[in-house]
Amino acid sequence: MSADARLRDGGADFKPLFEIALGVETFASNWAHCDKIATYVARMVSHNRTDSLLYANLFSSALNELLETAFRAHRGGGDLACHVSRSGPVDRIELTIPCDEDLRGFYARAIEESHGNNVAERYVAALLADGTLDPSIGLLELAVDYKARLSLEPGEGNAVRLVADLALEEMPA
Amino acid sequence: MSFTIRYDDNNQELMVAGSMSPQSAGELGELRKTFEKSARAVNGTLYLNVKRLIRLNNIAFHELAGLVTRACQEKPDLKISVVTSSVVGWSARKFSKLARISPNISVEQYDTQFYPGQDVLEDGGFIPILRTQTKMTWRHEREILPRHGLKPGMAVADVCCGIGDFAALIYKEFTPSRLVAIDHAKPSLAYARKVAADFGIKGIEYVYGDASQMLLEDNQFDFVTCRHSLQVFDRPELILKELFRICKPGGRVYITNEKNSHCLGEPRGESIQWTYTEVARLWDHFKMDIELGPKSRRYMMETGFEDIRMESFMVTNLDGDPQDFADVIQAWEDVYAGKMSVERGDSEEFNKKFRQGFQDHIFAALHPKGYAGWPIWVASGRKPA
Repeated sequence: MSADARLRDGGADFKPLFEIALGVETFASNWAHCDKIATYVARMVSHNRTDSLLYANLFSSALNELLETAFRAHRGGGDLACHVSRSGPVDRIELTIPCDEDLRGFYARAIEESHGNNVAERYVAALLADGTLDPSIGLLELAVDYKARLSLEPGEGNAVRLVADLALEEMPA
Repeated sequence: MSFTIRYDDNNQELMVAGSMSPQSAGELGELRKTFEKSARAVNGTLYLNVKRLIRLNNIAFHELAGLVTRACQEKPDLKISVVTSSVVGWSARKFSKLARISPNISVEQYDTQFYPGQDVLEDGGFIPILRTQTKMTWRHEREILPRHGLKPGMAVADVCCGIGDFAALIYKEFTPSRLVAIDHAKPSLAYARKVAADFGIKGIEYVYGDASQMLLEDNQFDFVTCRHSLQVFDRPELILKELFRICKPGGRVYITNEKNSHCLGEPRGESIQWTYTEVARLWDHFKMDIELGPKSRRYMMETGFEDIRMESFMVTNLDGDPQDFADVIQAWEDVYAGKMSVERGDSEEFNKKFRQGFQDHIFAALHPKGYAGWPIWVASGRKPA
């Protein structure tokens, strides 16, 4: 089954690969955690992909952007959790982020924007704009450059679960 | 975050390498300073080399885009050529956005001409001959490798693995704990993966990469092999540096190379010797050193290896089927005389004499009383612990 068909099929069978969870305050105590977690998780899940190194580099770059977004947009209390599962060519990253009402709104708007027809133009405009960087830039990049299918689900308590489906092996170089 | 930035005035090239994922643009002072200085210094085109940039977050990209934008505004005749790598999957896509800033900005992917003879040597049609070559050299190398430190259970990398047959033989004979085989020829890698699948070999990671800019991390492997490859690069020291980098302290790097002018045969020795001396000159014309074999010791010492071991062996027509030897020589004639000599613009008269030496080598190989040889130099060195 192709990645597209698998993504359309809501009932695709995703098998768990990896999970990491840590207190969100611990996570947010050091920016380097984003890169370190992304690199570590990518190495764990990439070894049996066709090209393990190329895949790990792509996967870690994508996950790093998600984690950097969560680093900037979270609230205290609870765990930040990263769960990775696989269905054929598709890897699903589920990032549970402790939030409040405002941040839930931020994530909801960003995800909605990532589904818009003009998301590519929106991403380039944000990248090349003067001034402060748009905090949703990482999600826009995933939607445009990594062809990620992004969605948002409620997590436990005040948390949200950000879901990114990635078919990185099928991306053109 | 660890990255390096360096400006090479000779080439008007700004090289950014490593991992760039700052928390804020304020951390990129060095990038800003070096970029602005470089943009002011160049005439014509500034080459922005990001081939070895393996991570770039959006904060850093945003800053870089701002620098590029301002440079183009301040110096309207400035051209910027961004050189990305196909080895880093996101690179070309991400940097292509910079071309929106100005028509003076171009973004190209550096995925061809890593070395001068790449078109010829990565041609998929060359695959059968590479297999035969490995079959002939393996008879010797399976005995030689343990003398250079290869033991079962090691983490091994085979850099410039070609069609992956050597890696498959290592896998079967030496049962490594991990085996990564890396090459930059996609047809070869596709072939390697197919062969591995056909033979039910699941333990080899075949990965796409350029030997001089591998994504592999430092200090990963007990034993690193790189066979018949330093001789095709115009800057072999860069490859050796990478082999050194990925080797664990105390581990060893193993290389093999040729000295083609020492190929020999009898009868018709004189003609054979003339042709192979000309082969060496031909490679030199294309900035490749097919005479590198005996220079391996010097290269390894200059890279920082210790306990360097060196030996040579001769593949001959007496190793198995003489026809295999003859097939290899015929393939060499097709490439060296049929393509490279023609590309150099050699005369018909030269080409005829050049081809004759190969045919005489084949004659010697197949002659019932003949002897034909192809010498290979092996060197290995230990990375200091």
